[in-house]
Amino acid sequence: MAHKEKKEREEHTVGAITEFPEGTHKVVKVGRREIGIFNVGGKLFGLPNLCPHQTGPLCEGKPALGTLVANAEGNWKFEWVHEGEIVACPWHGLEYHVPTGRCVAYPNISLRSYEVVAEGGKVKVRL
Amino acid sequence: MAETVARQKERKERLEDILVVDCDVHVHESPEAIMPYCEMPWRKALETIKDVQEFYLDIPGFSPGTTVYEARFPSGQEGTRMVHTADQMRRELDEMHVDMGVLFPDHFLKLPVISQVDYASALARAYNAWLLAEWCSPERGLLGCILACPQDPEDAAREIEKYAAEPGMVGVFLPCAGLERLWGHRQYDPIYEAAQEANLPVLMHSVTVIHPVFPFNTHGFETEFGRHICSHTFSMMANIVHMITTGVPVRYPRLKVAVTEAGISWVPFLMHKMDREYVERRREVPFLQDKPSTYLKKMYFATQPVEEPDNLSDVVTMMSLYDGENNTIFASDWPHHDFDHPSKVHQIPFTNEVRRKVFGENALRLFNIDSGGNRLNL
Repeated sequence: MAHKEKKEREEHTVGAITEFPEGTHKVVKVGRREIGIFNVGGKLFGLPNLCPHQTGPLCEGKPALGTLVANAEGNWKFEWVHEGEIVACPWHGLEYHVPTGRCVAYPNISLRSYEVVAEGGKVKVRL
Repeated sequence: MAETVARQKERKERLEDILVVDCDVHVHESPEAIMPYCEMPWRKALETIKDVQEFYLDIPGFSPGTTVYEARFPSGQEGTRMVHTADQMRRELDEMHVDMGVLFPDHFLKLPVISQVDYASALARAYNAWLLAEWCSPERGLLGCILACPQDPEDAAREIEKYAAEPGMVGVFLPCAGLERLWGHRQYDPIYEAAQEANLPVLMHSVTVIHPVFPFNTHGFETEFGRHICSHTFSMMANIVHMITTGVPVRYPRLKVAVTEAGISWVPFLMHKMDREYVERRREVPFLQDKPSTYLKKMYFATQPVEEPDNLSDVVTMMSLYDGENNTIFASDWPHHDFDHPSKVHQIPFTNEVRRKVFGENALRLFNIDSGGNRLNL
């Protein structure tokens, strides 16, 4: 009896690659989910359009920017880092690192990362 | 036969099914908007500035911007949302399942810092007339507060009398930011008198400003982070302490007082601090008939910005420390940067009964209105 080696993944086409230029992001609907598709330096990422703080529309705000950090290694000097990789929830500004989904203020909180690929000129989300 | 009562956990009522009175939302008054309602010569001053670029709650000669003394970095947060019309407000409150909103200003939260007294009172008069004409509507669930200009208490009392019988006005807004003298000073007695006579509650609301009077003298902080932490709540506490210790609650026993935008976790602190002081220093406040916390507990406290502990039942505990079930009132502070979406307060593990009180029933009592927003004391 044949078993499926791994669960078959659903693939959803959400648009043409030209609809997701570098440095932008856009919310798409996949079934009942709202997913923010980000193009960071040519790489595609997907995050839920839902901020765990107060259910804000995380991916409906301004383009991803950088942010400020300071640490002992840098002698506590402010540094501007992660240019183009930080999305802030438009409601209260809670920041998330797009490539990892990690919340900058609360590193123990990570958003689900959706696998997003470009194939044949189309952008697809794999669930 | 042993009776076993299966105590079923009650099903949580949905936000959509609860009456929601939002006790703190903000209209956006601009020089241009209120110009037609402003008398001369002050209207000329509004004409002069109507095209000046507006920074957020910062227009020279209108709302002195005093909050940004630090580097400005780009941010993804929409921190400068504004509501310009009653239609827009109604639409946006609908999206949040809010039935009624109590209206406060944007810029004029800072009214006390305007040092030109006649200009300040003219702005207040213009605002009140504009608000009534273009916003207030019980039918649409938009209820206004009469702006009481602290720089001119006699004129503020006249404004309260003027609008006392308006169905669209449900309270008196006492600006609490950047005051020269805290509420409680005897100079404000005409305002309390007028509000009590009019059967209107007073609602205290602050904002972050830098002003050389305690507790607004926050220029020592390097960041808005620090200033904002020490703004609203500290202002409420200082003002309430002054009001209680000059006897406002005993001299105006029918006056209802509500506090906004300070959260609720400080209420137990202030209760116990004042009661302890009362043991030693009752002779300084001999007019108080009872310990000070008695008067504090009669006030109403708006939830926003609601405390967000990991365990939300801590909020229920905090409320119980001041017996807050009947005097805690929901507020969003829409559209401001630190607003609370009602769904956050909805998550707090209240019983359905208490949730209904916090979301609406307590506010109906505070404002003496029915569930349709109609005043019961006209």
